[in-house]
Amino acid sequence: MTRQAFMTRLRAGLAGLPSQTVADIVADYETHFADGVAAGRSEEDVAAALGDPGRLARELRAEAGLKAWEENRNPSGAAAAVFAVLGLGAIDILILLPILMGVGGAMFGVAVAVIAVFFAGGVVFAAGPFTGLPGGPVVAILAGIGLMSGAAALGAVLTICTIGLVNALVWYGRLHYRLLRPALEPQTVGVAR
Amino acid sequence: MPEAIDIQLKKGALELCVLALLSQHESYAYEIASRLADSIGMGEGTIYPLMRRLQNERLVETHLVESSTGPSRKYYRLTEAGKASFASQKAAWASFSGAVQGILGAVK
Repeated sequence: MTRQAFMTRLRAGLAGLPSQTVADIVADYETHFADGVAAGRSEEDVAAALGDPGRLARELRAEAGLKAWEENRNPSGAAAAVFAVLGLGAIDILILLPILMGVGGAMFGVAVAVIAVFFAGGVVFAAGPFTGLPGGPVVAILAGIGLMSGAAALGAVLTICTIGLVNALVWYGRLHYRLLRPALEPQTVGVAR
Repeated sequence: MPEAIDIQLKKGALELCVLALLSQHESYAYEIASRLADSIGMGEGTIYPLMRRLQNERLVETHLVESSTGPSRKYYRLTEAGKASFASQKAAWASFSGAVQGILGAVK
């Protein structure tokens, strides 16, 4: 493989990452080729020693995704981390996926319920005093506040659980490509597990 | 599967070797890759994902050094956290390899 072919495949594998990150990575490998050629090696030789660009791109993507989560702990960071782990293409992800989807679905359900209860509380708080609920207007207002604060508390707990879950996934992803799927493993040897 | 074991051993030792190399002197990726490729026979490309991870974990930091021959070069050096991590990994490796050596010696 020539330098050109290697870089094309690497770029293809990195598509979708922030352009600054891609530029940094590409510059690293370009420098590597330049250094190799300066040391008297052929481009093919350097490319062969580097290994499979698609595989390297997967590892680099995973690292970039995990970094995004560590830097900003928000929904898009969490999504980046989840896709980074999935992108490693590990077989046990397939085993993990149903569990993950179950847990994710349950959390989504709870989130919807929390929002619904919050708004229901709001309605009771605002409209309760005028609808002649048993107990009078004060009870209706207090019940509305109670429902809303209950929902807020549950939402906070849910957020903590979500952060914990994504952190666990990040830990798993790291463990995975550090220990279980060595990148220096030649593609033909798929048994190192 | 001797091949698989061989690869696992190298992969496990890779981070330790990089930290060891950088504990002696700061270095750039091509030098690290070619040094390690020569001595333990690993894929040179692997060094870049590893360096990015070490950087994300704040174990190494980079700085640019002007070069007389070409564009300025990115050098890696250990941070304080990197030095501490190297010391503890080195100790863990020594006790582990000592234990394995002891067992291998006993079954000879």
